[in-house]
Amino acid sequence: MSTTDYRCDVLVIGSGAGGAPTAALLAEAGLDVIVAEEGPWVDQGSVVPFSLEQMDRQYRSGGVTVALGLPSVAYTEGRCAGGGTEVNSGLYRRPPQEVVERWRTNWRIDDLDPDAIDVLAREVESALSVQPLPGPAPAPSERLRLGAERLGWTHDESPRWMTYPTGDSRQGQRQSMTRTYLPRAMSAGARLMTDCRVDKLRLGADRVEGADVEFTNGRRATISCRAVIVCAGAIQTPALLQRSGIRRNIGRTLAVHPTVKLAARFTDELNVPDDVPVHQVKEFAPDLSFGGSASHPGLVALALLDQWEDFRDAVVAWREIAVYYAAITSQGRGRVMAVPGLRDPIVTYHLTRRDRALLCSGLTRLALLMLEAGATDVFPSYRGAPRVKSRRDLATIEDTFSATRASVMTVHLCSTVPMGEDSDRCGADSHGRVHGFANLYVNDASLLPDAPGVNPQGSVMAVALRNARHFLAEGWSRV
Amino acid sequence: MPAISWPKGGVVSEQGHVVVTGANGWLGRALVARLAAPTDGRSDVRVVAVARDHLEGRALTEFASTFPSANIDIRFADFGQPGEFDQLFSGLVGPIEVVHTAGVIHPRHFSEFERVNADGTRKLAAAARRTGVVRFVHVSSNSPFGVNAITTDRFRQIEPYHPYLEYGRTKMLGELAILDEVERGLYALIVRPPWFYGPFQPARQTTFFSMVKSGRFPVFGAGDQHRSMVFVENLVDGILATRNWTGPAGHGWWVADREPYTVAEIVHTVGRALADEGHDVQPPRLNLPDFVGNVAEKADRFLQKSRRYVQQVHVLGEMNKTIACDISATTRDLGYEPRVDLYEGMRRSIRWCAANGIEL
Amino acid sequence: MRAPSSAVVAPTCEAVLGHDLPGLDEYRRCEVVDFVCRRLSTLPVHMRWGVAVIAFVVDGWRRTTGTNRLIALSNRPLPLLGEYFRLLRSLSIAYVWETWPDTRPDGRAA
Repeated sequence: MSTTDYRCDVLVIGSGAGGAPTAALLAEAGLDVIVAEEGPWVDQGSVVPFSLEQMDRQYRSGGVTVALGLPSVAYTEGRCAGGGTEVNSGLYRRPPQEVVERWRTNWRIDDLDPDAIDVLAREVESALSVQPLPGPAPAPSERLRLGAERLGWTHDESPRWMTYPTGDSRQGQRQSMTRTYLPRAMSAGARLMTDCRVDKLRLGADRVEGADVEFTNGRRATISCRAVIVCAGAIQTPALLQRSGIRRNIGRTLAVHPTVKLAARFTDELNVPDDVPVHQVKEFAPDLSFGGSASHPGLVALALLDQWEDFRDAVVAWREIAVYYAAITSQGRGRVMAVPGLRDPIVTYHLTRRDRALLCSGLTRLALLMLEAGATDVFPSYRGAPRVKSRRDLATIEDTFSATRASVMTVHLCSTVPMGEDSDRCGADSHGRVHGFANLYVNDASLLPDAPGVNPQGSVMAVALRNARHFLAEGWSRV
Repeated sequence: MPAISWPKGGVVSEQGHVVVTGANGWLGRALVARLAAPTDGRSDVRVVAVARDHLEGRALTEFASTFPSANIDIRFADFGQPGEFDQLFSGLVGPIEVVHTAGVIHPRHFSEFERVNADGTRKLAAAARRTGVVRFVHVSSNSPFGVNAITTDRFRQIEPYHPYLEYGRTKMLGELAILDEVERGLYALIVRPPWFYGPFQPARQTTFFSMVKSGRFPVFGAGDQHRSMVFVENLVDGILATRNWTGPAGHGWWVADREPYTVAEIVHTVGRALADEGHDVQPPRLNLPDFVGNVAEKADRFLQKSRRYVQQVHVLGEMNKTIACDISATTRDLGYEPRVDLYEGMRRSIRWCAANGIEL
Repeated sequence: MRAPSSAVVAPTCEAVLGHDLPGLDEYRRCEVVDFVCRRLSTLPVHMRWGVAVIAFVVDGWRRTTGTNRLIALSNRPLPLLGEYFRLLRSLSIAYVWETWPDTRPDGRAA
């Protein structure tokens, strides 16, 4: 196997919501940037959104990844150029000011000004063309809105990083990283290496010298650089740091938004297989939020699986069914552990008693909302679930639900290298520099000290811009 | 005399009757007292106060005698017994309104829960429909909805049922029976009070004061569980405010004080009210770890599965839970505004005890 | 680390499919089983290893006790073993209805 050496000023590892904006800003500032991306480049539109093929091509391990625990929490990670921004719903939430303030005070983060983050968020919104739908929302989204309206529960439409060239809501073009920050980075001279996994960082006493990488075709290489910014996501970033021997406050505080789901059947054919609802119910936020999930027939069947014997007959009516979720802000925490000899990290997550109670409450309220929205049958996704047809049946959910019987999953992962000056808890300083290293940074969801209670990628991008600018202003001169 | 205004389905110019079930109870007496001596100076209502038996009847007769100008009839119905209740309404002329406060919360026999709260309510509502009652107000509870998942959560106006033990289950069945009768044409509304306090209190509330006074009221953890409470006069306001509703039947509203209180705040406020009424109050000293409440709840569940009810275990098991509701819909729909807060309500309650010779 | 062998996964997967979706024709069933085995080979390495061990145990149970007992086992809420069956069923069901959306609940083609 041949070995090739590459050189650059800054190696950015990962090309998702953290890596792409970082690479763009650094390259535009004149630095020689290499972006190492483990996954392939997949053109938007070349795979059906939310399909198994997409999971094969753009997700890690085909989308079958699990944080072990009781219950285990299934999670997904994007593994492609653009990372999670390519495969998720594109729903955008500005970082809530009170959350930023909480991070600043609780984790002693210097220069984290909620107003300044707000300005950065607007910059992100502009770069990604974040906007609401130009026309009516998909029918499953409208049902969610209707149910919330009838209950008097606050709800809104989440804007998305989408453009609508024809003015038709159904023909949006996702303005993910491969269409925004990555092209900007490459126009400014950044080199994007796809199918390139970083095995290990090359560390000196208090410096990183570069990284050993392996391409999908088996070729190995070394990249030498003056600084490394790890943006591989909340699972792979701590795993890489740990594999490289950096373990202090790394990977110990994984935070997620656990979700449980249900399928709701209506009297009309409302299913939209290749799109997701844009409305979210915020009445109980930040503890509890409701929204819609992808609902192509395979996912409808999956939502019925836990009580298949009783629910299977509904699968033929998948066109009348949509899948919805209840997400909580969890007080539990998880771990990411790179084990020597294993290529993938072991991930665990522990739901607290309060989390379990909240999941139950969330699922029941979501079922109520579906009935209000006109659902004739609600199928909660857990073993032993009742088929809910009326409010009377709702009482049986809380009697039979337990988190260990449910399909708990998450797509929001963060906080594995929390930033801040509290060196007892934080893995990186207030601007993402890994404690103990002069030129090693993290700049992705790992830095967010806890789960923000909203779709987190807006927060990830705003923080990434902040830290990248700080690196250019102060960090780069020191490395 | 001016008549009650009947916003829905009633006859405006005709004098009516208000049938109050559970009239000898805590809320029942407060409601009868208000109806018998209306605050707006009118005393135009014929109150039918329903007693369970002749013992209650005698007590109610004595109570009614304190309102000499009022028109209070006493009738009898034991909602825990078999049979229908149509005779309760026999001979009543004019529009009839029912306020169903009768219920069993601490039963002598376990089966009373179902017999009274579920079956009794169902039969009464059916009889009311058959009789042509123009407005039926059912007093429910927080218990059909269980406890809040977290301390900051608040029950909204419409919530999924999650009954807390047998009382909650049977109160839920009571609500469902009411909703069934609504389907059949009864104009019924539901009010849901949480833990209430105030004049006409039963003996168990005296125990509550005594425990706070001696510093022995159990506080779990930091006492940060939230509890909605309602002063009984506020509750009467809420019940009467349902007359402002002209919308469809079947709606329910929380009637509580403006905001929930933390348990620590409740104990502190009651202690302050007692001290300000001249009592010698010991600082709270019975601080229990949270798991004790959970153990008590499990014990309560176990006992209730074997159809036994031990009041102390039940109350202890509930004390580390948050039961808190949001009254904004009640204010919006009914114009309900709680007039008395916890401190003032507790002081009135303590004074009522003193005036009635109850030693705390 | 080795992927769980198709030789131990496939018979179990076929048996579970035969029970859950008895009307699924053989051609489709083979395709589903292939997909499941392929997917299991891309699991994170520790999961692959865990699945391989469980698959081996379950296959041994199937060989010694027969298909009926295997199905009975698959419907019990056992830790780890239950997760294995759940994984097989999730992948199978998702594949069937994504690939042939109008499949009947018993697996028959529409």
